[in-house]
Amino acid sequence: MNNKVAIVGQTLEIEPQGLDKMWSFKGKLVVPLEHVLGASEDPGILDDTKGLRAPGLHVPGKWAGTYIEHGEKTFWNVTRPESPIVIQLKDEHYDRLVLGVEQPRELVNRINAAITKQ
Amino acid sequence: MGRKRSFDDDEVLARACKVFLEHGYEGTSIDALVKATGLLRGSLYGAFGSKRGMFVAALRDATDSDSRDSRVLNLVLVALMELSDHDIEVRVLVRDYLAKLSCSGSGDANAVTVDVAKLLGATLLQRAHIRLQSDDERR
Repeated sequence: MNNKVAIVGQTLEIEPQGLDKMWSFKGKLVVPLEHVLGASEDPGILDDTKGLRAPGLHVPGKWAGTYIEHGEKTFWNVTRPESPIVIQLKDEHYDRLVLGVEQPRELVNRINAAITKQ
Repeated sequence: MGRKRSFDDDEVLARACKVFLEHGYEGTSIDALVKATGLLRGSLYGAFGSKRGMFVAALRDATDSDSRDSRVLNLVLVALMELSDHDIEVRVLVRDYLAKLSCSGSGDANAVTVDVAKLLGATLLQRAHIRLQSDDERR
């Protein structure tokens, strides 16, 4: 899905790509870096439980939209065989973002370096 | 980090540490950490933020004392090999720990002595199952 993720000043900007406005998120997420707790590459999350969709779409190998499990809201936009990155947030609408991106490892290192410098 | 935890941090970090020692940092998957700690994926992310967050917590815990335990030295080796070139927080933790081991007398509090460098070298060889021969043995 190659979501666009950029560090702009003291914020993290996420532009989900390829989403149908009917069932998913529109526009762009802007999160202050101080609300970002960390980023990880996590291909295994695709095989873990995801909770209930509200709203969102699941077709085999593709997850998009909001999922709720144990009271936590996660935003998904990933398609196999992407190796998604997981961004953990605090004090935001979403507790967690699961995103397919280009060059996941490099992005994970950049995000973690940016929040450590805070 | 905010949320109330229902697990024992020390136990979780000890288990995570074991996984990092076995697989290295990059070689450790979130799956392996989930399995070893028995935590739900969401709890792990909630508590530590990321795989890096978990590694840093384990490293901080291990290097808290001036222990020369092989578990601690091996975790420091993983940090040196895989993280400390680009991760400033990890570099500072490792440097402070090694400086602490070096700091038996006076001198630069941020520098590492040859004695500690040798200890790391010996630990590295041990990790590779390569026998270290003492000078006495060679004679």
